[in-house]
Amino acid sequence: MSDPAFLSLEKLTLAYGDTVAVKDLDLSIRKGELVAFLGPSGCGKTTTMRSIAGLLKPQSGRISLDGADITRVAANRRSVGLVFQSYALFPHLTVFENVAFGLRLKGLSGAELESRVGAGLKSVGLTSFADRKPAELSGGQQQRVALARSMVMEPKVLLLDEPLSNLDARLRLEMRTELQRVQRETGVTMIFVTHDQGEALSLADRIVVMLNGAIEQIGTPEEIYNRPASAFVADFVGFENIFAVENGKLRAGNGPIELPGPLPDSAAGLAWRPRMVTLGSGPFQGTVRGASFSGSTREYLLDTPLGALKAEVDAAVPAHAAGTTLAFDLPVEKAAKLERFN
Amino acid sequence: MFHNRAEALALALPAAVFAAVVFLAPVVILLAEGFRNADGWSVSAYTGFLSDPLNRTVFLRTLRLGATVTVVAAVIGYAAAFAIVNLPPKGKGRMIGLVVLPLMISPVARTYAWIVILGRTGIVNQALTSVGLTDEPVRFLFTETAVFVGLLQLFLPLMILALISALENMPKDAIPAARVLGANWFQVFWKVILPLTREGLVIGGTLVFTGSLTAYITPAILGGSKVLMLETLLYQRVTVANDFISASVIALILIVMSFAANLLLKRLATARSKR
Amino acid sequence: MNSRLFPVTVLVLVTAFLIGPFFIIVAASLSGGETLAFPPQGLSLKWVAKVFEVESFRESFAMSMLLAIGGTATALTLGIPASYALSRYRLPFGETVRTVVALPIIVPGIIVGLALLRYLVVPFGFNITLALFLAHTALVLPYAVRVVSASLNNLRSDIEEAAVLLGSSRAGAFFRVVMPNIRSGILAAFILGFVTSFNQVPVSLFLSGPGVRTLPIDMLSYMEITYDPSVAALSALLAFMSIGIVFLAERFLGFSRYV
Repeated sequence: MSDPAFLSLEKLTLAYGDTVAVKDLDLSIRKGELVAFLGPSGCGKTTTMRSIAGLLKPQSGRISLDGADITRVAANRRSVGLVFQSYALFPHLTVFENVAFGLRLKGLSGAELESRVGAGLKSVGLTSFADRKPAELSGGQQQRVALARSMVMEPKVLLLDEPLSNLDARLRLEMRTELQRVQRETGVTMIFVTHDQGEALSLADRIVVMLNGAIEQIGTPEEIYNRPASAFVADFVGFENIFAVENGKLRAGNGPIELPGPLPDSAAGLAWRPRMVTLGSGPFQGTVRGASFSGSTREYLLDTPLGALKAEVDAAVPAHAAGTTLAFDLPVEKAAKLERFN
Repeated sequence: MFHNRAEALALALPAAVFAAVVFLAPVVILLAEGFRNADGWSVSAYTGFLSDPLNRTVFLRTLRLGATVTVVAAVIGYAAAFAIVNLPPKGKGRMIGLVVLPLMISPVARTYAWIVILGRTGIVNQALTSVGLTDEPVRFLFTETAVFVGLLQLFLPLMILALISALENMPKDAIPAARVLGANWFQVFWKVILPLTREGLVIGGTLVFTGSLTAYITPAILGGSKVLMLETLLYQRVTVANDFISASVIALILIVMSFAANLLLKRLATARSKR
Repeated sequence: MNSRLFPVTVLVLVTAFLIGPFFIIVAASLSGGETLAFPPQGLSLKWVAKVFEVESFRESFAMSMLLAIGGTATALTLGIPASYALSRYRLPFGETVRTVVALPIIVPGIIVGLALLRYLVVPFGFNITLALFLAHTALVLPYAVRVVSASLNNLRSDIEEAAVLLGSSRAGAFFRVVMPNIRSGILAAFILGFVTSFNQVPVSLFLSGPGVRTLPIDMLSYMEITYDPSVAALSALLAFMSIGIVFLAERFLGFSRYV
């Protein structure tokens, strides 16, 4: 990495009581980057984020931000913003007072406070809602207040916990654009946590995939999508046909299967998306167990010597009935080569 | 929702009539008696009662004890409730059980324990003497301090329980949100926890305050005739002097104070959360 | 702030303050000496044994049990239908009914006792036991209504409509469908009422006569005569009884949510 790390986590271990949630995590993030922590619930992504905010003290390890060690700095003295999944707006305060909350604590008042809060509300398009209480706002509006409340503090890092998960489809798109705009205009370093691969792929500069309290893979969206490093990541980003490689052969239920082409030695496993499977020709035979139509494509579930297999073809191709035997191929050159098989 | 009026009345009236006849009517008559003298309706009983310095002392003491017990219970209650709410589920259940338990034990038994603790040869005096702080046993029993401690022990659980439920109803993450926005723990309490738990504080405060005002056992055992409160004064007036008029006056004062405290606390709660 | 030390300290101190006195009573009641003291002078069960020998304790215990069980049962008999009417019917003057029924909780007990003495017992020659019974019933009524109402409000009201549509009468629907579902609420109300009545002092203060006394009142007057540890022993026994009841209630009902 050419840029010096702006935010870095070194050997970070986090625990709730006796339960270790994150173990020996190393990560560095550049200034102005938009990073996604992606993983299933319980993988430690939210825990890691809360420790960056200072809401959870690490068992061991170090967190540094902008050249300073902040591991022992209390949450209220870090320049870190956090937009909670529940938004955590203060229900007893108006929208204006919610946004002003942190600025007042900094000692701001009068015209300066008004103008900073005003600018914050304007940037999220909620100027006319200043006097409302949070309960009078829609979910999307509440989230924008939470965003403004964090942004007016001009944090060095802005953390967002599942920023899109509580919104409906239309608002989700809106918010996605909004987050990108805020990031572009302010250049703030942003980290968001999500369990939704689509969200991570579409929004992030870099994705950190986490599993069981450790990092599974770090990469750009393209890298993660096209070259998953492990079976877990492959599964998470939609490779549905995943096989381990043993002694140059695919491991299958009824014994190893040899593929026609030479297998790359280094791969611990191979993975194909359903649409990477060639259907209608090839060295293998499978029986159609079922099919589902989704507009432009049709997906088949096949019983094969390799076990169950999913293949996707253009819906224009005439449908095969259940019970039909079909030839198919798993082209090695298209497959994702997995470094680890877990 | 059913709409049969006769049925509804048949179900509800027995309880209402019972409460009205057995409870409401005698109490109202008793209260009315305080407004009568030989010439008819009058407030002379009240002016007479309040012009007696002893009565005024007892009245002010009752008010003072009620207020201090409530304030101290609130302070301890917040700390305890906050600690309990943040326990893991199993520990939380057990702690709540421990808080509820004393409420179920006879107040006579609970108050009696303080005689063993605070008496002339009680634990506290033994400790003080053995450390050499005093030669003579300090008098704790039959002081306002003893009554204060007894009342606090009696009613603290009510405050803790009210605040636990208030804290649990606070929006998730409100506290960490305030922390991240730069609030220290003191500011978190004043600006977030207190306003968001005010209702619970009002409920707990009313229970503790009215409980303290109308407690009989604690001032009777730990205060005796030296530290009279309104309720023990009432008992004394009736049993010693057969003075039912004073009893009626005290009764109304107690009732009015309870209601006033409730209204005042409610008012405080809404006034400050409006902005 | 040390994030662990502070809450732990608070909890230890509060627990010691709330529960500690109870242990001291138990210890004091096991004393072999003649006066109340802690630490006890030698161990003996003689004061515990004495509790059972004092005749007035036996009589007043029986009286308190009678009042607590009978009063609470009566209060529930009156309170359950009232709660049902309040939660399921559009009741004329519903708020008034609710307030009247809840009043005994707000008005100091000593006043209730005095009022009953003066206007029922003295002028009409009312039996004191009966007056005590009425007073304790009135006292428990608000708790009965509150706890049973809470259970009823947590229960969907459409199950009765379903029962009626399936051919049950209104009363049948109540006994077959509603009662089984609020049973633990009723039991909790009973326990709360029992404990409240059993421990009650102010209401009973003026309502005592020759041979008619509740146990707490009897303890108070016994203490005026002597400070021997038998009252400590009795207190400890009563506390154990309460703990037993609460423990079972918590175990089977999750009692603390009803308090």
